[in-house]
Amino acid sequence: MASIKDLTEFVIQADIEKVKETTAALLAAGEDPLKIINEGLIPGINEVGERFKEGNLFVPEMMMSAQAMKAGVDLAKEKIEGADIPNAGTIVIGTVAGDLHDIGKNLVSMMLDSSGFNVVDLGVDVPADKFIAAVKEHKPSIVGLSALLTTTMPAMKEVIDALKESNLRDQVKVVIGGAPVSQAYADEIGADGYAPDAALAVELCKKIA
Amino acid sequence: MEYASKHGDGIAFRTLTLQQLKDIHSASCRILDEVGVIVHHDEAADLLKKGGAYIDSKGRTHIPEALIKRALHSAPSRITLYNRLGEPVIWMEKSNVHFGAGSDTLVYLDPFTGERRDWTTEEVATAIRVVDALPQLDFVMSMGLLSDVDKRMINRIQYALMLKNSVKPQVVIAEDAPTVADITEMAAAAVGGREKLKNMPHFVLYCEPTSPLQLPFESVDKLLYAAENKIPVNFACGAVEGASTPVTVAGAVAQANAEALCGLVLHQLKNPGAPFLYGFGGSPLDMRTMVACYAVPEVLLLQGCVCDLSRFYSLPSWGYAGCSSSKDFDEQAIAEATMFTVMGALQGCNLMHDVFYIESGRTGSLELLVLMDEVISRARHILKGVNTTPEYLAVDAVKRVGPGGNYLGDAHTAKHFREKWQPTLSDFSTYSSWEAAGAKSMRERIRERLRSIMQEHKPVPLAPEVEEKIDAVIKQAKDRLGI
Ligand code: B1M
Repeated sequence: MASIKDLTEFVIQADIEKVKETTAALLAAGEDPLKIINEGLIPGINEVGERFKEGNLFVPEMMMSAQAMKAGVDLAKEKIEGADIPNAGTIVIGTVAGDLHDIGKNLVSMMLDSSGFNVVDLGVDVPADKFIAAVKEHKPSIVGLSALLTTTMPAMKEVIDALKESNLRDQVKVVIGGAPVSQAYADEIGADGYAPDAALAVELCKKIA
Repeated sequence: MEYASKHGDGIAFRTLTLQQLKDIHSASCRILDEVGVIVHHDEAADLLKKGGAYIDSKGRTHIPEALIKRALHSAPSRITLYNRLGEPVIWMEKSNVHFGAGSDTLVYLDPFTGERRDWTTEEVATAIRVVDALPQLDFVMSMGLLSDVDKRMINRIQYALMLKNSVKPQVVIAEDAPTVADITEMAAAAVGGREKLKNMPHFVLYCEPTSPLQLPFESVDKLLYAAENKIPVNFACGAVEGASTPVTVAGAVAQANAEALCGLVLHQLKNPGAPFLYGFGGSPLDMRTMVACYAVPEVLLLQGCVCDLSRFYSLPSWGYAGCSSSKDFDEQAIAEATMFTVMGALQGCNLMHDVFYIESGRTGSLELLVLMDEVISRARHILKGVNTTPEYLAVDAVKRVGPGGNYLGDAHTAKHFREKWQPTLSDFSTYSSWEAAGAKSMRERIRERLRSIMQEHKPVPLAPEVEEKIDAVIKQAKDRLGI
């Protein structure tokens, strides 16, 4: 039978079927589901992340590996009762009001998701009150805002202001990004962080979550 | 070769066979029929429904092929654009090519210092004057985002700047239909009234679906406004291949074509016969850096498909040229922008924009613009083709000169040498005379040209009462918006 170590390799190879088969077999044999996740599946995606950083792997391959990992995690989760499922933190993310650009935001979401975050994606053209409602509902550690238009950047500040008004500002970190956005703008509106691309967005979120 | 481009004397360029055109059309029809689109606009959804579209339980609108056929039948196959003086200057049809600048770059790359900074109103005005002065550029766009005005006024003020600093027709970006209405008001003031503008269009409106397969409210609102007012308009998706469309060229074209056709259907339902400009573009995602890249080979192929499809559909075509992914005005920028320009010319794209874009549309380079003016002139010369009439085959001249002779002293040379292409920037002098003249690199010559245009070029001014009307439109908009 394939081992937990093999599971890591199957995640790296993005072989969904083998990940599912092996996870199911290991569970059936009585293996601890948390151990399967922490010692089999997660090391696989971590290795994929490393290889991506070194430039030996491309984003679509990383996405396929992430899907393979998730397929395994989903099976393992079914067997976990009450215990804490590992999770890097919850992030509520969206493209701000008036802005329909979502490709960059979706990438950031997918990469965060692959890195173990619980991502609540509100979509595009999201008004401040919707962010507030989502923060109340999901209690995230991070709120992520994306804007690609100079004209919609002020909507980022509106979200921050609304968080203050609702007395939620000190419960979440605000991370912003998008082509016209800069560290200087983040400082100006009092965001907690800015990331120029999706990979750095994940690093930033891991650091401040 | 039926739908290949046809230029002077036999020059033609084809990307797709007739069978491939039919396959793409059929794939796009399947997408509209089987997958459907999401329409975020009640009037539009209603128009489509009444026209015969089916709205499913998930709210997706499915468009039958019959609607597409009808729209293709009623849409005009050609559009003429007029300059501010009322002269026809752009003829969008067949394989005619026209070039223009781009809109809304974030960063101004100072051509003299290399500094990257936000655009000011003055710099945008100057950049538009440069486009006005360059003979190979046929239309203007807004160049850069104004960092020194209220954000809600950017599009309107950009338009006023275009009217004041150039006579050339424009392609216009506007955030919503009320902005288009103000722009139309300003244009009407400049050309002599609403009715004249309607029949002698001075600007094209640039509208976009949001891929995949979504029709946002503002875009559709603008599209319908344009149809009603006979403002030439496109519905051109900016595909980010691998993210918003399939990663393959054919897949991207099939989906983007479906989106453009869907825009056309809606537009023709609103006002059959109103002018529509067909086309779209792409900037594939680099799968390592996640950057949307301009001017890569796949995008040039995509544009070849757009041009062949436009002739297959008998619609005027819209596309790109003279732009680059490079961060600087450097060798990469010149290689990419030149390739795009030459390919676009051969493909016979009717209206090509973004000449001067670097960093995939985030930065604008006036140096690239000036260089492309000469590249376009070279490309246009190629499009003239090879004249093979007896006078040009020159057998008589060969007889006169004979073996071992020299054509320099022959009348045929004297008669025809002026037809040869002439540079405006390139240097054809000897090394020693080039050195004696200061050994100036192309880059230095470009800057000199820019400097002299910036100092000397005066666009044909607007009449004072027209300026007043334009300023009044701006003022009213500010009042309305409470600025
Ligand atoms: C939460 O934390 C974070 C952290 C990091 C974050 C983050 C959040 N969000 C993003 N990041 C960062 O990580 C991502 C991955 O590495 C990166 O995301 P990016 O989004 O930057 O990168 C993506 C992976 C790839 N890049 C993209 O997806 C954007 C590419 C370009 C070409 C672009 C596209 C594709 C589109 N556009 Co538009 N578009 C342009 C873009 C030019 C450019 N080269 O940037 C830009 C952004 N658009 C522009 C414009 C003007 C417009 N667009 C419009 C529409 C569109 C399309 C719908 C056609 C399409 C979007 C499709 C979609 N589903 O998103 C219109 C506006 C619609 C609206 N209301 O939003 C319209 C107004 C044009 C019109 N004719 O109406 C310009 C904006 C200028 C400005 N800043 O104001 C523009 C720079 C092009 C230009 N020079 O004209 C980082 O920024």
